[in-house]
Amino acid sequence: MAGERVMELVRELHRATGGHLPPFRTEGLRQALEEMRALYERNQADVSEAKSGRTDLIFLIRFRHCCLLRNQRCLLAYVYDRLLRIRALRWEYGSVLPNTIQFHMSAEEVEWFNRYKKSLATYMRSVGGEEGLDLTQDIKPPKSLYIEVRCLRDHGEFEIDDGTTILLKKNSQHFLPRWKCEQLIRQGVLEHILS
Amino acid sequence: MFVSDCRREFYDVIVTQRVLLLVASDVDALCACKILQALFQCDHVQYTLVPVSGWQELETAFLEHKDQFKYFVLINCGANVDLLEILQPEEDTFFFVCDSHRPINVVNVYNDTQIKLLVKQDDDLDVPAYDDIFRDEEEEEEDSENESEGSEPSDKRRRFEEDVIERTMKRRQRREWEARRREILFDYEQYEYHGTSSAMVMFDLAWVMSKDLNDMLWWAIVGLTDQWVQDKITQMKYVTDVGALQRHVSRHNHRNEDEEHALSIDCTRIAFDYDLRLALYQHWSLYESLCNTSYTSARLKLWSVQGQKRLQEFLADMGLPLKQVKQKFNSMDMSLKENLREMIEESANKFGMKDLRVQTFSIHFGFKNKFSASDIVYATTSLMENIEKEGPETTNFIKALDSLSRGNLDKLHQGLDLAKKQLRAIQQTVASCICTNLVISQGPFLYCSLMEGTPDVKLFSKPVSLCLLSKNLLKSFVCSTKNKRCKLLPLIMAAPMDVEQGTVIMVGIPPETESSDKKNFFGRAFEKAADSTGSRTLHNHFDMSIIELKTEDRSKFLDALISLLS
Repeated sequence: MAGERVMELVRELHRATGGHLPPFRTEGLRQALEEMRALYERNQADVSEAKSGRTDLIFLIRFRHCCLLRNQRCLLAYVYDRLLRIRALRWEYGSVLPNTIQFHMSAEEVEWFNRYKKSLATYMRSVGGEEGLDLTQDIKPPKSLYIEVRCLRDHGEFEIDDGTTILLKKNSQHFLPRWKCEQLIRQGVLEHILS
Repeated sequence: MFVSDCRREFYDVIVTQRVLLLVASDVDALCACKILQALFQCDHVQYTLVPVSGWQELETAFLEHKDQFKYFVLINCGANVDLLEILQPEEDTFFFVCDSHRPINVVNVYNDTQIKLLVKQDDDLDVPAYDDIFRDEEEEEEDSENESEGSEPSDKRRRFEEDVIERTMKRRQRREWEARRREILFDYEQYEYHGTSSAMVMFDLAWVMSKDLNDMLWWAIVGLTDQWVQDKITQMKYVTDVGALQRHVSRHNHRNEDEEHALSIDCTRIAFDYDLRLALYQHWSLYESLCNTSYTSARLKLWSVQGQKRLQEFLADMGLPLKQVKQKFNSMDMSLKENLREMIEESANKFGMKDLRVQTFSIHFGFKNKFSASDIVYATTSLMENIEKEGPETTNFIKALDSLSRGNLDKLHQGLDLAKKQLRAIQQTVASCICTNLVISQGPFLYCSLMEGTPDVKLFSKPVSLCLLSKNLLKSFVCSTKNKRCKLLPLIMAAPMDVEQGTVIMVGIPPETESSDKKNFFGRAFEKAADSTGSRTLHNHFDMSIIELKTEDRSKFLDALISLLS
């Protein structure tokens, strides 16, 4: 049935909640494009026939055209939604994405991500005076410069701005600058303690 | 060396640095740590907190972190050994030691550069004078210089004879000096005891900097009460320290008397209380509390049938109906609760319990939350020694540390439940030990060993629980025995620690007398006995009187101890 495969793609993306990026379905995309091409060719053939007299084919042509439009809309929605999710990943994870996520992106998406990163970096450098302003930090207004964190699992050594390293062992507590810890808190290595 | 101005020589030095906090596993250390953490957070001092439960962990933590930190703060560990020798630090590493263990090792006292002791100097320290222990090595060079001078033969011979006489005299002097030195050091290091609580020292630091808060004061109170609950300090010292804290309490908490400016009910209030000595009685029933507090159960001899009868008489004397007494304390009739303390004190005097009331403090916030200092101590201790393992041992430390904050009431209540279990287990074990005569006199000391199959024996594989058990056992034994000599003997208690590895944990406590100075000689005695028999022992705990040893070596170790101490 027309439009089935493309619906599967959209449904999969809809099910992946929370900004999660499922793997890029090249196969599904290819099949959908195949389908569109087949529909288009049949329509082409029927249009030339309809021009030469067979007006009852017009309804079939219109139906196929609707299918084509539907497929196009779904495919565009799929690709665009994935791009939005990838954009959100930059704000969440920073400029280097973990390998598991990079696996799920197609080559074009990686290219798009790099360009987005560059454009964001240029913008951030232009804002806020000489060194630029890192907008991806402190998404929520911070309450203090330093926060107390507890290490939830062994993470090894961790370097902070002035070159000193800290050994992150399970159940050790540290009092560190907020901006250094945010990444690790998001990854679940550190836990913010509120006393 | 001793730090005379805590603020300038300690705090101002580290306020611009990154610091590593090494904290021992007892409630006093936890409280001191909380106070210091609060100060550090106020001033944005970057720190890392690592809990340590023994010398090995201390060394491991130091080795792991020594490249990253230059300033180390040790809380309740490290004063009683030669730190520089054990840790072998670099020249530019500094240690600040805030420890209540005494005697302080002489090397730590006389080291001018790397070790700073945050200790109150009016504590009875009795550190030997410098010249009695240390001697410069100049004498060696003088002798060799005399020999290299050359001149006429007769003069040389005369000088040679004079040299020989001089040298023998110097050698004799040196031998005498060394003998005297050994004696002085032996006297100094023979007895272990405890000084001022580290939490109070930290609170003093906060007060000097005018950064003290009610919360910090409460932690200082809990630290002091921990020392009292575990019988580490004398009654006199406790009363003196309570007096000092009382001044701070009235300074912070005087607004409640004034009706107009009274604080909201949710604010923390600390109050001085002349409260009953019954453990956890406000969170339990009065009956349970009477049965499970060591003071009352020892005096009333509750392990025997007669003792139970005496308890009933005691309750009847006060006019408290059994039904009321056995239900939760909060549900007792108000009319009974109102004069409870005075009533109990009167009746207790008749039954031989003169010190049933003790000076302590209680904290009050919100409508439901009222805790006495000893409640918190019991709860935190049982959280820290919780045997239900949910991960590495440090998890228990972290849980106990969290429970001291006001926001974590659920952890505190969990701790209270665990404490009730622990107290019950202690009482039952004490009762069974006394009824089955497990406490035997070995001559210079009493000895009791817990068998593997005893119920709750796993609870006592932890040092603090085992110490509490031993003190309760000794108190009860002293009340139960008729042998006058046995009443003055110290006690050694052994319990199985790890069944697979076949180790036993052994604890020695000083004798239980009215005016005991709580000085414990078992630390040195254990070391000597282990050396002489070659037993496989592990002196891992910061308290030298707690050791672990292999079960097979137990009997020869004990024999060596007996011969050593008789």
